[in-house]
Amino acid sequence: MRRYIARRVAAFVATLFFVSGLVFVVVRVLPGDPALVIIGPEGSPEAAARLREALGLNRPILVQYAEWLSRAARGDLGRSLQYDVPVGRLIVSRLPVTLPLTVMAAALMAATALPLGLYAARRHRRAGDYLAMVISQIGIAIPGFWAGLLLILLFSVHLGWVQSGGFAGWSGGLWPGVRSLLLPAIALGLFQTAVLVRATRSSVLDVLYQDYVRTARAKGVSELSVLAKHTLRNAMIPIVTVAGLQLGQLMAGAIILESVFALPGLGRLALGAITARDLPVVQGVTLFVASTIVLINFAVDLLYVVLDPRIRYD
Amino acid sequence: MRHLARLLLVALATVALAPAAAPAQNLVVQVATEPPGLDLTATPASATAAVVFYNVQEALVKVDRHGKLVPWLAEKWHTSDNKNYTFFLKRGVRFHNGRELKAADVKFVFDRALNPETKHPAAKQYEAIGDIIVKDDYTITFALKNTNANFLLTMARQGSVIYPREAVESLKSEPLGTGPYKLGEWVRGDRIGLVKNPDYHVKGLPKLDRVTYRFIPDPNAALAALKAGDVDAAMFGLGPEHIPDLQKDPRFQVIVGETTNDVIMSMNNSKKPFTDVRVRRAVTYGINKPEVVKGAMFGLGRVLGTNVDPLNPYFVDMSGAMPYDPMKAKKLLAEAGYPNGFEAVLKVAPQYYYTVRTGEVLADQLQKVGVKIKIEQIEWGQWLSRVWKDADYDLTIIGHAEAWDVGNYANPKYYFRYDSAEFQKLFQESETTVDDKARRELYVKIQKKLVEDAPVVWLYIHPRLAVTKKGVQGLWKDLPAPVFDLSEVSWVK
Repeated sequence: MRRYIARRVAAFVATLFFVSGLVFVVVRVLPGDPALVIIGPEGSPEAAARLREALGLNRPILVQYAEWLSRAARGDLGRSLQYDVPVGRLIVSRLPVTLPLTVMAAALMAATALPLGLYAARRHRRAGDYLAMVISQIGIAIPGFWAGLLLILLFSVHLGWVQSGGFAGWSGGLWPGVRSLLLPAIALGLFQTAVLVRATRSSVLDVLYQDYVRTARAKGVSELSVLAKHTLRNAMIPIVTVAGLQLGQLMAGAIILESVFALPGLGRLALGAITARDLPVVQGVTLFVASTIVLINFAVDLLYVVLDPRIRYD
Repeated sequence: MRHLARLLLVALATVALAPAAAPAQNLVVQVATEPPGLDLTATPASATAAVVFYNVQEALVKVDRHGKLVPWLAEKWHTSDNKNYTFFLKRGVRFHNGRELKAADVKFVFDRALNPETKHPAAKQYEAIGDIIVKDDYTITFALKNTNANFLLTMARQGSVIYPREAVESLKSEPLGTGPYKLGEWVRGDRIGLVKNPDYHVKGLPKLDRVTYRFIPDPNAALAALKAGDVDAAMFGLGPEHIPDLQKDPRFQVIVGETTNDVIMSMNNSKKPFTDVRVRRAVTYGINKPEVVKGAMFGLGRVLGTNVDPLNPYFVDMSGAMPYDPMKAKKLLAEAGYPNGFEAVLKVAPQYYYTVRTGEVLADQLQKVGVKIKIEQIEWGQWLSRVWKDADYDLTIIGHAEAWDVGNYANPKYYFRYDSAEFQKLFQESETTVDDKARRELYVKIQKKLVEDAPVVWLYIHPRLAVTKKGVQGLWKDLPAPVFDLSEVSWVK
């Protein structure tokens, strides 16, 4: 196991190195000059040229990357060009929005998709199955941003139950924060929930007609126990694989939904940074998201061992 | 017991009869874009000006709501030769840190703007300044190298705000000034809060205790926030398509006014076929501007004939000078050697919604005279590099929000690539002519020359579209400068 973990850590470092190099090149090859975006069309080209020099953007790209890398290795991700604050601090300041949002969306996804998928599989080719499939089809078909707007219209404009957007913060207690993330989490989780319902259903169907399930039933094991112990646990590996990938996708989906709900999260930070060519922020956020996804995948791999004792990594 | 009850009654009555403290006047404003920093001497961004200019920081001179230049941090100014301007500072004006504004601060600000090291985005505007002489704490003279008709206007621009020299390092995140509001908080990505400056130098102002700017980029989300009552005013976020509905809603008031934002379609004057003035005129004749305003802007916006906007005192209405005439357009194209028209690419940046919509209407109209347009949407950063900096384009649409920006046409390196010696001479003359009548005449000639050469197509003025809850008063109707003055805004009692 120790050797396995060492291998994974090495792969983790290599992934980050590769991702950071790729992003560094891509954001600099993109047409668009950070100095011009900062100065804008009202500023003079001379002012933009002076700013470009001051930002160190005239130096060879390899020199810039080497410098960035050596500082990043020491935990310094540089300073934001537009906010003039350390990138690390900026990312940390956005986590109290994006992390709970993603966790809430994921919780919603798990709490809805697993029972619904299980139910659909149990009712295979019966009305309940078809109904669950239609619901999940609708979830897949509705884009998240549109679902977000519909939710705002219903719950904020018409019913006035929750605020239409913005983030209340955690300083006023748990509920105001959770309340302001509720609609975005539903909108964010909708698509992934719908996908997971289908994955759960098909995975459970694969297991449901296995010999050991039939044997369990024949032995007189209660239906609940058959489902929970014999079926679901064995069906879990593909479900966990899909769910792990979906967690990464939830973070990507947050980019759009944070704009719709005017949430000061990591997604909006990334979007604004790309538009403003705030290269250190783009770099920092990408690195953070890549690390998170690698870590989630690692956690999923470890979870396999728990779910299936036959899996060994040594 | 009865005694106690009586005492309680008296206490209750005292509380009830005591004059109630005036309720706090707060305003929550939606803006689409978060400022890329709050230093007006480092960025010309309109998102920064919307928060800081007039509200947190002010200049010696101010463009008021009628577009007039009025003394502001200066009590008055004096010039006998139009080259030496002496400003007499208002006494008792205090910065937000409590220190009084003195002439030495003004000198520091402009010395810094002139220093290339500080990278002031509008440093060029101050090149006319030769010397800055502090006469005493409240008197300062600017000695210009040449007569400059725009000098007072330059002193009123957002890059000319006066700040205390000790706060220069923190301007980007915590600007200090003399304005009616102080910066309260900036929660990056979410909101900026301004709080009332109780020592403001204009008595009785400001009327609001607190202003919160909320950044809501999505127009539909902005509309929802307004309808749900989460914001009191939407300033720049709503499009013309939202206006008709909101005008019918008794909960809101809609402000539709003029701005200095000229929406134009630029033709690359250095690239064929637009090097030929007949082609440029043909394109102008091929465009039905009132239909463009109707199709792209729901009829909101004023048709434009040249680059001088209606809020400019030298504005001449040229909107009818080259009316829609497809036959004439075809004839001109044939004369220029394009009897079957030609193809061109129109580059637009969807960050500005009106550019795409306007482009679609224009493409349809120009097809009828044989000009086949392919619309290419590019992102704003790319637009700045490819179109604005490198002039790598055929056609493009954009709004020019700056007031008094006709000088762009006198710069042959500007992205229009319009190079007319005659126009440049006229413009230079207008810059050094101080006499109002003579300058007006020059501006009339300037506008006629522009119409004649048709370097771009001036389409319409982008209207000011602001929506507030009923009861908000004191907002400017027109925007003679791209500012958002909240000093006189209040709620009706």
